[in-house]
Amino acid sequence: MIRMLLRVLGPEYARAMRRTVALMTITAVVEGLSYALLVPVLAALLGGSPSDAWPWLAAFGAAVAAYAGLRYTSDLAGMRVGTTMLRGMYHRLGEHLARLPIGWYGAGRVGEVSVLASRGLLQAMGVSAHLLAPFVSALVTPVTIVVVILAFNWQLGLAALAAAPVVAAIQAWTARSTAAADADRHERDKEAAGRVIEYLQAQPVLRTGGRTGERFEALDAALREVQGASRRTVLATLPGAVGLTLTVQAIFTAVLVLGAYLALGGGVGAAEVLTILVLAARCADPLLSLSDIGGKLRGARAELVRLDAVLRTEPLPEPAEPVLPERHDLEFDAVTFRHGGRTVIDGLSLKVPQGQRLAVVGPSGAGKSTLLQLLARFHDVDAGAVRLGGVDVREVSTEALMARIAIVFQDVYLFDGTIEENVRLGRPGASEAEVRAAATAARLDEVIERLPGGWAAHVGEGGALLSGGERQRVSIARALLKDAPVVLLDEVTSALDPVNEAAVHEGIERLMAGRTVVMVAHRMRTVQRADRVAFLDGGRVVEEGGHDELLGRGGRYAAFWEIAAALPGPARG
Amino acid sequence: MTITGLARESERPEPLLRPHAGSFAAVVLLQVVGAVAGLAPLLAVAELGRVLLSPGPVDSGHVWFVVFAGAAGLFVRLLFTAASSGLGHVLDGRVQLTLRRRLAERLGRVPIGWFSRRRTGELAKVVGEDVAAVHPFIAHAPGELVSAFVVPLVSLVYLFTVDWRLTLITLIPVVLAIALVPLLMLPARTREQEEYDAAMGRIANSVVELVQGIAVVKAFGGAERAHRRFLTAADDFVATFNRWVRGMSAVAAGMQVALSPPFVLLVVLTGGAALIASGSIAPADLLPFLLLGLGLTAPVAALGHGFDDLQAAGRAVARIRDVLGVPPLPEPARPVVPQVHRVELRDVRFGYEDGREVLRGVDLVLEPGTVTAVVGPSGSGKSTLVRLLPRFFDPAHGAVLLGGADLRDIGSRELYRRVSFVFQDVRLLRASVADNIALAVPEAAHEDVVRAARLAGIHERVLELPRGYDTVLGEEAELSGGEAQRISIARALLADAPVLVLDEATAFADPQTEQAVRRALAGTAGGRTVLVIAHRLETVADADTVVMLEDGVIVERGSPAELLASGGRFAAFWQANRTGPHPAGPHPAGPDLVGPGLIGQGDEPA
Repeated sequence: MIRMLLRVLGPEYARAMRRTVALMTITAVVEGLSYALLVPVLAALLGGSPSDAWPWLAAFGAAVAAYAGLRYTSDLAGMRVGTTMLRGMYHRLGEHLARLPIGWYGAGRVGEVSVLASRGLLQAMGVSAHLLAPFVSALVTPVTIVVVILAFNWQLGLAALAAAPVVAAIQAWTARSTAAADADRHERDKEAAGRVIEYLQAQPVLRTGGRTGERFEALDAALREVQGASRRTVLATLPGAVGLTLTVQAIFTAVLVLGAYLALGGGVGAAEVLTILVLAARCADPLLSLSDIGGKLRGARAELVRLDAVLRTEPLPEPAEPVLPERHDLEFDAVTFRHGGRTVIDGLSLKVPQGQRLAVVGPSGAGKSTLLQLLARFHDVDAGAVRLGGVDVREVSTEALMARIAIVFQDVYLFDGTIEENVRLGRPGASEAEVRAAATAARLDEVIERLPGGWAAHVGEGGALLSGGERQRVSIARALLKDAPVVLLDEVTSALDPVNEAAVHEGIERLMAGRTVVMVAHRMRTVQRADRVAFLDGGRVVEEGGHDELLGRGGRYAAFWEIAAALPGPARG
Repeated sequence: MTITGLARESERPEPLLRPHAGSFAAVVLLQVVGAVAGLAPLLAVAELGRVLLSPGPVDSGHVWFVVFAGAAGLFVRLLFTAASSGLGHVLDGRVQLTLRRRLAERLGRVPIGWFSRRRTGELAKVVGEDVAAVHPFIAHAPGELVSAFVVPLVSLVYLFTVDWRLTLITLIPVVLAIALVPLLMLPARTREQEEYDAAMGRIANSVVELVQGIAVVKAFGGAERAHRRFLTAADDFVATFNRWVRGMSAVAAGMQVALSPPFVLLVVLTGGAALIASGSIAPADLLPFLLLGLGLTAPVAALGHGFDDLQAAGRAVARIRDVLGVPPLPEPARPVVPQVHRVELRDVRFGYEDGREVLRGVDLVLEPGTVTAVVGPSGSGKSTLVRLLPRFFDPAHGAVLLGGADLRDIGSRELYRRVSFVFQDVRLLRASVADNIALAVPEAAHEDVVRAARLAGIHERVLELPRGYDTVLGEEAELSGGEAQRISIARALLADAPVLVLDEATAFADPQTEQAVRRALAGTAGGRTVLVIAHRLETVADADTVVMLEDGVIVERGSPAELLASGGRFAAFWQANRTGPHPAGPHPAGPDLVGPGLIGQGDEPA
């Protein structure tokens, strides 16, 4: 458990953690040893010579004072280490999450990661603050007391000692038998959390089907599964808890019976037997609390395992000796990329000379957006290479690569904050004037003027308070501010209202000027601005050339735009 | 004060939990019997002491009876506490399910508009974690409360019967610890507690954001920049947590020392030695205090940590209650079933916040079998207007009528059977493609689903998926944005509702999707009433009526040709946007904004 904790934490916390555990152990041993002084005290008090008790009582008082000092120190240390680790853990997790490949972030991850980062992490870190001290004391104090008993009376001591292996065996067995149930339960929790988020986000559409509450079967089934799993966990834990209690109680009964027998036989003094029974009662209580603490520890352990799994997921490897690309031409060299069991890009080769614009056109699912993601190294290719300025993107450090690329996504995700913060993301160090200039160039200034609060207006979760076109403008301003030599553009698919459309096109035009551009295009008007066009289907380049040249060829590309022409009304530009 | 505070906390969840009161009482009762029986072995040791230390010959029969009674007590304790714990956990599972169902049911009935002001992360936390936080209340509270209050009380009564002076001495550590309790309950502590919860909520939100915005983080972030918000939230939380712990820890550690067994034993032994030495009590009477005296500290010890959980549960229940307390969109007592599908808006006013009206008195009639196009600049209220039809919101003033009946008088099932919509934010469920398309019509036949998919131009793509229509989206396959939009169009086509509300912006992922929308719009021959937010001139040209919205009021309405010819606001609006600045150099030659047949379309002025 502690080993796992230390691994998850990383080496920098190991020493503090070890020191705390050592302190807790010493405290528990001192507690157990201090009880040895009860034997002479009680012998005097019960044996009819109470005045003999005072010196021993004074010694016991001194031992208690020492214990109190240790206990106070170790309690404080536990809490302090706990919060320090919590902070370290959050940072480790946050930084790690940001480095994991985009491919790792599937549909279920939002629920999983949010549970992990909030409750999970706290529970895992609570180990040291709340659970470790009681656990160590519940284990070490009884053992010390048994040693003390053994020193005074070997028969009763041996009887008490019999508990040790049984308790240890039961603890180990319970841990194993509940691990499966815990894991299963966690799976169900995760599933349910994902369903709840889905249920909330899909409310409008669910209501059309009248699928709310219990009528949304997917959610209700997930909730029922959670209940079933929690029932199974109880069933898995109960035998261990009952077994532990049964053992401890049986041993206590045995000590009681044996003590009564020894006292009746006259072999051992009544006062000694009674003292040992008092000590035995002191053993039983902490041992009985073990099953409770054990359950909580297992819960924390399960969270640790999950944290460990996430932290051990490899981010895309960073080059050992990063190369800085000197030019900004782009190249796909026989690239194959598989994702989710499907070959998305299939042996594709393409070149974009520095300063040129390539438009990528093709039906949905052709792999257009993936092409942009590979350039930005959101994933690594399965075969072939993606090169920037002749350098494989895997040879470039993430930071250097990202510094050279500005991306305008199709779905603009804005962080819940002000417009200014979202624009500034492009270049946090930019001056006030540069931010304003980028906003003006993206025609974001018009939006800002209209919004109550202006620059300080909040955009809402995911940018929900802005319209699609307005979000696009923010994202273009962001990219303009970044001023990177390579621009990747995933053209917004929704039709914007005319005002927004004009603004967005204007902004994009400014963004593309003088840069190497790859754009996924859905409109003929956009394509016409490109130097070359690549028509993609099934992850391959089917046709490549200038727009007019391809139209003239009358192939797939020409056919693609013909659908548009066949629509009622004029074809879109 | 602390005890009443506790009682208040524990009472809170009750109304929510009332249906389970019977089982809960059984859990408590079993726990009481078990815990009190657990005192038997300790009493047996005390009794043994009396027998063994009494002068004269030892009654061995009595000794063995006492030993047997102690062992029997242990067995009863085992049986009853195990039963109580098992039952408690089962009950807990049931209560959690009930609460989550109630929450889901309520969230399914609150106005959609309510969601726009809430964060998904926070709400999901209420349904997930906050409900889970009642676990200690149901599964552990009976045991904790019984061992914290019932057992000490029984012990205390027994000890008083043995010797009242030593009983009072035994209570000294408890009094010491209680003296420290107020320090844990200072207003500052309560405030820190609330800050702690708030900080936790911020972490949940920032994580949702980090994960959903990961692409942006990657593109702009490097490792340390863009996920700063998460780290800030985390630091914030740790700082709050630290403050909370720092405020508590010294006091809590002090309490722990005062309540620790060695300290209690020291006090009892010192007092006992004095009393025995002065001959006030028999030596054997010291034993019950050594054995039971430790138990007297339980209530205060529990206050120190065990009730953290209960207090957290109390706060969680308060949040659950808040959500359950949100008034749902009222359902009519006597639902009206509209017979015709004429939609009418009468002097409709609406605003998201007080004092800022988005719609300022809109009158509009949509005749069956016609297409009405809404146009207007950004922020004119178009999106709000169309969202009133599927009753995402109720108007603040005026009424929306369907077939002469106020929407508020139509049952929601009935309403959604009649009004379907395709809006901007497409949400696919993690379910099969077929289920996603048949969302509004779960009983639809497979061939109908396929027909809708064909019309929406997504059928071929679906067949390419690993398991065709049975492919679970989000698990076995991901769809692109355009494909998702076509699924949502297929949804609306399958629903085949007599009233269709459409935000055209959704529709133009690619030519195929646009074609699908055109087909949907064309299907109005059967008398469908269509309201569309139009962005394309061709859509406007095909509409029967155009409504020009500006700043929440209708400034012009009429047939497209008539409006364009009259040279009013609408004409100016289109003209302005058509010739808007295009520094891209020569405007692409596409005939995209001038509908050649528009004027000559022959729509007679009404």
